[in-house]
Amino acid sequence: MAALPASAATYTVVVAGLGGEPAYEQKFREHAAIVASAAQAAAGSAGNVISLTGDAARAEAVRREIKQLASRMNADDSAVVVLIGHGSYDGDNYRFNLPGPDLTDADLARLFDELPARDQLIINATSSSGAVIERWQKPRRVVITATKSGGERTATRFAEYWAKAVASDAADTNKDQVVTAAEAYAFATSQVESAFKAQTAMATEHARIEGDNAGRFTLARLGTAALAPDNPEVAALLSQRGSIEQDLDRVKEQKASLPETQYYDRLEEVLVRLALLQKEIDSKVGGGATP
Amino acid sequence: MTRQLTVALVLSLVAAAASAQSIDYDPRRAVELRPCDDHRYRGRSDQARTCYSKLLESETPIVQAEAAWALGDIKRANEIFRITVQNNERAVQPRVRWARLFLQTHQYSDAAELFGEALRVFPNDVHAKLGLAGVYAERFEGQARPLVDEALKTDGDLIEAHLLTASMDLEEGKLDDAEKALDRAMRLVSKEKLPPLEVYALRASLEMSRGNTPDQWVKRILDYNPRYGAVYEQLAHFEIMRRRYKEATALLRRAVEVQPDLWSAHAELGSNLLRLGIVDQARTHLQAAYSGDPYSPTTVNSLRLLDRIDEFSVSVDPVTIVNDTFDVQLRLHKKEADVLRPYVLNLTRRSIESFSQRYGFKLREPVTVEMYPDHDDFAVRVAALPGIGLLGVTFGYVVAMDSPSGRAPGDFHWGSTLWHEMAHVFTLEVTDHHVPRWLSEGISVFEEWRTGPTPGVAVPPEAIAALDKKQFLPIAELDSGFIRPSYPNQVQVSYMQSGLVCLFIEQRWGFEQLGVLLRQFDGKRSTAAAIEATFKIAPDAFDKDFDTFVRTRFANVLANMNEWQQQQQAARQAIQKERWADAVEPARRAVALYPENVGGDSAHLMLARALDKLNRRSDAIVALEAYRRAGGWDPGALKELGRWLDEAGRTDEATDVFVSLNYADPLNTELHSQLGERLLSAGRAEDALREFQALLALNVLDQAPAHYGVARALRELGDKAGSRRHLLDALATAPHYKPAQALLLKMIEERT
Repeated sequence: MAALPASAATYTVVVAGLGGEPAYEQKFREHAAIVASAAQAAAGSAGNVISLTGDAARAEAVRREIKQLASRMNADDSAVVVLIGHGSYDGDNYRFNLPGPDLTDADLARLFDELPARDQLIINATSSSGAVIERWQKPRRVVITATKSGGERTATRFAEYWAKAVASDAADTNKDQVVTAAEAYAFATSQVESAFKAQTAMATEHARIEGDNAGRFTLARLGTAALAPDNPEVAALLSQRGSIEQDLDRVKEQKASLPETQYYDRLEEVLVRLALLQKEIDSKVGGGATP
Repeated sequence: MTRQLTVALVLSLVAAAASAQSIDYDPRRAVELRPCDDHRYRGRSDQARTCYSKLLESETPIVQAEAAWALGDIKRANEIFRITVQNNERAVQPRVRWARLFLQTHQYSDAAELFGEALRVFPNDVHAKLGLAGVYAERFEGQARPLVDEALKTDGDLIEAHLLTASMDLEEGKLDDAEKALDRAMRLVSKEKLPPLEVYALRASLEMSRGNTPDQWVKRILDYNPRYGAVYEQLAHFEIMRRRYKEATALLRRAVEVQPDLWSAHAELGSNLLRLGIVDQARTHLQAAYSGDPYSPTTVNSLRLLDRIDEFSVSVDPVTIVNDTFDVQLRLHKKEADVLRPYVLNLTRRSIESFSQRYGFKLREPVTVEMYPDHDDFAVRVAALPGIGLLGVTFGYVVAMDSPSGRAPGDFHWGSTLWHEMAHVFTLEVTDHHVPRWLSEGISVFEEWRTGPTPGVAVPPEAIAALDKKQFLPIAELDSGFIRPSYPNQVQVSYMQSGLVCLFIEQRWGFEQLGVLLRQFDGKRSTAAAIEATFKIAPDAFDKDFDTFVRTRFANVLANMNEWQQQQQAARQAIQKERWADAVEPARRAVALYPENVGGDSAHLMLARALDKLNRRSDAIVALEAYRRAGGWDPGALKELGRWLDEAGRTDEATDVFVSLNYADPLNTELHSQLGERLLSAGRAEDALREFQALLALNVLDQAPAHYGVARALRELGDKAGSRRHLLDALATAPHYKPAQALLLKMIEERT
């Protein structure tokens, strides 16, 4: 799984749309704040994150902010857009509900296309968001929607669990203290499913993901995970770790073809190397941190 | 009216169903039909068919319809009835007969509506009343009897009314009353020179209910009509009512042997074989039933369930109790089998151990426990059984119940349900299935209170209200409260009354006497006789003493019902307004008046919550402990209790509370994860292993901690190879998982 270039920056836009009633209004703001805060921590800079909520999240403001952001980016950067709120679909057009005029799927698609970043991650967590997934697809763009189609119109829960995914270690299933888009998606979808199951209610939303390698987008860095180590010695060790991880992936790919004993022996050999190296990295970084 | 019967494409296959109707004792039946009927009642199918075929051209539409019906052409009969009724808004008899056709095609609501329409046209029509009573009787509803009585008051010569009365008497175990009704029916049948087949069939059932052989009546019937399989079906019906499924199966086999086109018997045989776990044969008979009667939802649903049988996994585990080993077969849905199996097996083993010892009985066959995640599948298994609880059912050595995944956590305590059903296995088998319904349910409820996973005499308000209104039934009639309830909640009240009867017996004569009473039921003894034989006391005196016992036990709440309701209300309102201090005293008083109320609105819970909010944590713990001792098991409340006990440093007690939650909420990942860690810390590696394995089986997104937990538990248990494998699996999933990395390096160090 190839990560994004270390020198490139990640820019995030979070928009919380019209709630329609105070309870939704508040929830949307909270979810947006959590997602924006995680993005800031991951980027290491508040300047890389734009968050529009409440009355500030008008169509004009969304257009303006994305255009401004586009002017600051280059093709090697990556862009993450998160839309939280209510959406609607009339059979032809999807609309993201905002104070004042809404933005249609075509409006939004034009804005995303204006972003020079080749690597784009668009998360549409609204109701009826499934209507846009095919329309927004593009090479090197990953699109995530809370619903499978425009017909799933009920207010969604997806954003709540997406926010949870980036705000805690619950979604970090490989325990590297980094939450990627792939991990957040897996976590949010599994939590939505469990929530409906716990209430023995019929699920009214089924999330979708389109585009390759969602794991290359880092959404949150947990604990003391450093953004980019200054120490060249640590950087070398991390590079070494990357190559061991590739060895590990190769062994895992052989699981079905290898006899069981051999598979576990090979796994052990790689994992012991990785653990020993990690120990060394930790001793250099100090405090048990996990870069 | 534009009603149409649902007609499936397979109608052409039912052309031979000339014998599908039972004996028609309707005195208004057209004279032209009688000679054909006579052929049919005598089993002369070919002659009957020829005779009815000629009547298809009759000038009287209702005769045409009856002939088509008798020939099995349901579609044609329906159409003629429909047109007849349409042409004459005030026609009563065609409506009644049309309704009967609906009854035969299992469309009870439509039948009831048509009988109702007939009664609106002519409110005193006894045949419409009788038909409606038949619908109620079919559904085991209490309105059946008053309607039959009403019809008989108008016309005492209604043979069918006497037969329906006798049938209901037999179902409720009122054998002498049934005999009287049958005597009256027989006199009328002889007088009218009508076929005695249905009277004889019920006579046979009466003899069997008395523990005698029904052979003489069966012989008379078969002499009259050698193809009258309905007699065996009738006998089987009463055996099924008594949960004697094996005996019913033998009778149903005989029914379809004598009359191969008796589709209802094929259907019942299929359902019954399914109850006994004989799946392949069940499918054959259900398919036969469907080919002849595609209208039965029971048949269709059973076949659909069989189509999905591969979704279930079957395991057989031996469980050893002292020196005996019993096989326990579990049939669980594949998606949850690995999670549930250890808990179901453990509880089943414990129940066998407890009941074997308490009732002095060794199981003779393997026990099967089936759990259905889809309640509709479970409902198919209990189809056609009256008054069965909605959560579980026992067919001898086979227990079927809802799976915990079929309901929201907190909706039901699956552990108590399984315990209840396992008690039935024993009470049924100790008595060779002769135990009356009330005693079997009573012992099951009593065992839930005394030995089950949620011990405590929990009695809901509806039972107290029924006691207050003097609605408890005399012991000799308690079965009717289950079979044909006459007011809402009566089945639930009857469960409670039966449990309290067992509690009364235990307190008054000692537990051993409950076993002695149970063994009185050998198929020949009534409840009244068994009570007299065991306690040397007349049933009336027993009822009087029981009444004194329950009124003494619940004296507080009975004397202060209004006050209890007021205190509950005051506590509830104070809590809603978050006026915690104002909630404490009313809740405390409500608990004092009625501690047995542990339902969702329990004052115990309100008291604990208010005390906690007032920072009186230790008092709140006492309140929740009292709730738990009274049989309360709400998962949310018990999680809170566990957390509070932890915070109070009472770790072991907290662990016990969390362990108990597995029997209410076993699919909770957080619970298994926490319990695994707690048990491992407490040195209970085997129990911890079970929890981590359950976590793994739940297929959680974050698999690494579950593998790591299993690895540590196995390491503690000395299984180094298993431990290594799970540790490597944990790290393959999460390569940077620090605790697992540390253990891996430790493991390598130990090895070298």
